[in-house]
Amino acid sequence: MSYLSISNVTKQFGDTVVVDNFNLDVEKGEFVSFLGPSGCGKTTTLRMVAGFEIPTSGKILLDGADITDKAPNQRNVGMIFQSYALFPNMTVAQNIGFGLRVRKEPEDTIKQRVDEMVGLINLEKHADKYPYQLSGGQQQRVSLARALANRPQVLLLDEPLSALDAKIRVSLRAEIRAIQRSLGITAIFVTHDQEEALSISDRIVVMNTGEMEQVGTPFEIYNFPKTRFVANFVGSLNTSDAEVIDPAKGLVSMDGVQFEAAEGTNGRTKGDKVKIAIRPERLSFASEQKKANVVDCTIENITFLGSVVRIQVKIGNSKFNMDTFNNPFLELPKIGAKEQVTCSKEAVLVLDE
Amino acid sequence: MAQTALKPNAPLPALDWKKWLGVLPFFLFALLFLVLPSLRLVIGSFTNNDGQFTLANIIQLFEEKSILDAYWLSIRVSAVTALGGGIFGFLLAYSVTVGGLPRPLRSALITFSGVASNFAGVPLAFAFIATLGRTGFVTALIENLFGVNLYKQTNFDLYSFAGLSLTYMYFQFPLMVLIMAPALDGLKREWREAAENLGASATQYWLRVAFPVLLPSILGSMILLFGNAFGAYATAYALTGGRLGIITIQIGAQIRGDVLHNPGLGYAMAMGMVVIMAVSLVGYSWLQRKTERWLK
Amino acid sequence: MASTQDGKVAEMNMLARIRRIPFWSWFWFILGALYFILPLYATLKFSLGMERDVIGFKAYGRAFEDPEFLSTFLYSNVLALMTIIASIVLIVPTAYWIRLRLPEARRIVEFITLLPFVVPAIILVFGLIRIYSSPINVPFTEMTLLQPLTTFEVGTDILIVAGYVVLGLPYMYRSVDTGMRTVDVRTLTEAAQSLGASWFTIIVRVILPNIRAALLSGALLTFAIVVGEVTLASFLGVPTFGPYLFLLGQHRAYEPAALSFASFLLTWAAMGLIQLFTGGQGQVSGAH
Repeated sequence: MSYLSISNVTKQFGDTVVVDNFNLDVEKGEFVSFLGPSGCGKTTTLRMVAGFEIPTSGKILLDGADITDKAPNQRNVGMIFQSYALFPNMTVAQNIGFGLRVRKEPEDTIKQRVDEMVGLINLEKHADKYPYQLSGGQQQRVSLARALANRPQVLLLDEPLSALDAKIRVSLRAEIRAIQRSLGITAIFVTHDQEEALSISDRIVVMNTGEMEQVGTPFEIYNFPKTRFVANFVGSLNTSDAEVIDPAKGLVSMDGVQFEAAEGTNGRTKGDKVKIAIRPERLSFASEQKKANVVDCTIENITFLGSVVRIQVKIGNSKFNMDTFNNPFLELPKIGAKEQVTCSKEAVLVLDE
Repeated sequence: MAQTALKPNAPLPALDWKKWLGVLPFFLFALLFLVLPSLRLVIGSFTNNDGQFTLANIIQLFEEKSILDAYWLSIRVSAVTALGGGIFGFLLAYSVTVGGLPRPLRSALITFSGVASNFAGVPLAFAFIATLGRTGFVTALIENLFGVNLYKQTNFDLYSFAGLSLTYMYFQFPLMVLIMAPALDGLKREWREAAENLGASATQYWLRVAFPVLLPSILGSMILLFGNAFGAYATAYALTGGRLGIITIQIGAQIRGDVLHNPGLGYAMAMGMVVIMAVSLVGYSWLQRKTERWLK
Repeated sequence: MASTQDGKVAEMNMLARIRRIPFWSWFWFILGALYFILPLYATLKFSLGMERDVIGFKAYGRAFEDPEFLSTFLYSNVLALMTIIASIVLIVPTAYWIRLRLPEARRIVEFITLLPFVVPAIILVFGLIRIYSSPINVPFTEMTLLQPLTTFEVGTDILIVAGYVVLGLPYMYRSVDTGMRTVDVRTLTEAAQSLGASWFTIIVRVILPNIRAALLSGALLTFAIVVGEVTLASFLGVPTFGPYLFLLGQHRAYEPAALSFASFLLTWAAMGLIQLFTGGQGQVSGAH
């Protein structure tokens, strides 16, 4: 049996269904992200695990025990908030020791545990400072230590990095992941940032308007998106209207330009209207060896994005982005030039319209 | 920043002192009608009848029993109404912010507090005479309901310490409501949730987080309330007609005629008030800074 | 079996709901409401009882008919208007100049605007009387420039308006300064300048309209302070509404109650308008 089991959980606020029939089993030590746009129900689901919201129906089991209706202070889960939520009247050490203190642990146990935690987040020098004297990244590390000091069964992180600068965000997310691995703690991480979810998780739950769209490893989610929403939300994607021409061979046509898709057309019949989707990095200029999916195009625009050069091309009547790694010897075409681009059969996704 | 900004019409960089000409009228006004009058009192406190420097007035201030009594009465009235108004105002602000009362009651209370904290002086005194005077509405109500005549069967007197304090409360606790409501709004929901998440009960959250966070703001506001009552004159004068000798009424008497037979002593009395007010303002701003750091 | 369980659940839900009703919040709120309302109700009830066994507005009629009421009330309103104008003329350019060119003066000016908290009305009037009850001489000579301000009407008018400006200073300054901060007058000015506007145009067409709400709320608060003010008026001997009401109270019963209730309504109107302009931020004053 799984460690944390969320089964058939639905949450309604009045008539609005915020979370609809959510099912997820999380293994011990696993790092799972809930990914989706704001209002998709990811935070509400997390808050139901924390006990701040009670599900309208469904059950939440933690290590075999039913915690669905338990008060937040009766369950042993650690929560980290986007706004850090450090107590402003307490020092770093007092914040970290708060949970142990309200549980009436002996003072020397508290001190020992606080020292250990302060060491874990490398803030030994700042133990006696107040939150307002720390940077955002430091404050969020304190909040992590505070949650971990109680030895929670599950660690819940509610967009913990959203309020931080880009650089700190990346380094802190690595730090969170490293600490989580070393302690072997089960973690649920809520984010709207797909890059964050892809980089940090064992598994990702993509959510939209209260429903689970897809559950899978980052690799699966990125490379084999099951729905159009997932394909669009995770990574960037070129999409265009198309029509099925030959279901057996996986041929689709977009404004008369033919593409071949490796996974076939999933039981669609000839003449079905579909969307085809190709990730920008899967497109490249055609070289002689390649035979499949070589199409004519016109160069529309070229944008430098640092490590990547994004070239906008027009195929038929649709504009596609093509990403190429930047290097000093890159030969770029002129705007308006006619070229040929290609992509593998595996790169062409066929999605419902 | 200012140098790089585009300022086509701006005059050439002026000499530094010329910039200060822009605030000269304000400083001149403050000098004439605020600083000089205050300074006059300070100088007067250290001057004897012959115009020479003396500390005698200050020393006499601490020796004259009637003056000390007046200060003491003022301090008591101010402290009692600051404490009572502070606690009551805090509870009211609590009940409409985080206490779970319907939203419209909050705006009603805030509006009413704005009015009541500004409703003072003669009208307030008359309102309380109509309420708790010998034939006042509440006096009669209590006699009808409980058969107790406040004036005959208890020691109550509107024109005394208790009566004045009750009257001052009318503008004190609304002031507290006005200051505390935003402070209570500053309590983040996440603090409560974080505390619960770490295993704290509601009581533990209030005792260990919310109350300590609010404490500087509560104390600071109470100091403000203290000063608010301490400097009040009109309400007390209209209510008691000058019979209750709080310090502002004593000073008023000294202005009308030199009742102390020593102008210097009158000045010293006024300066003593200013000193007490200044100390409370310093205390207030110190606590205010602490609050701002926590609740930003 | 099932039905008894359902019954139990329903009962528990009831209990939970009762516990969710914030008893103490209601208790304090009702107590506060009573404290607010009782004195007003008592005043109103008393003022309506001038004629034996009849509830009527006779006291109000009598009070409003008194020519002395009319003249003192008018006088108070004129003084309030003068005070508001003087405050604006004094404070707006100062606050503007500090934001624009002289940020280094901010601390000292803010300190001065806080001084009236330390110098209550009774002390202020004490000092004003002592300073301005002697003639104003040409410096270092015995040549009199001006008779003592306290000895003639225009003189006391000047003194009382100046005193009221001082009393209202903390509120007016804060109101104007906050208004200027929220619209960022500095950027507005620079934008207007880059579009070629003159200083006059900038102030009249750009700055003032943008701090209108702040000015109005400061003005209304000043109005509320001045109209019923007693301390300065009575010591300077200016015949305004406050001292009139006080004297009326010495030998009449019903009319002062009527006027007290009326002035409560006036305060209410001023504060209500402020709420309207500032969007519900309570304002705080203190001329007690």
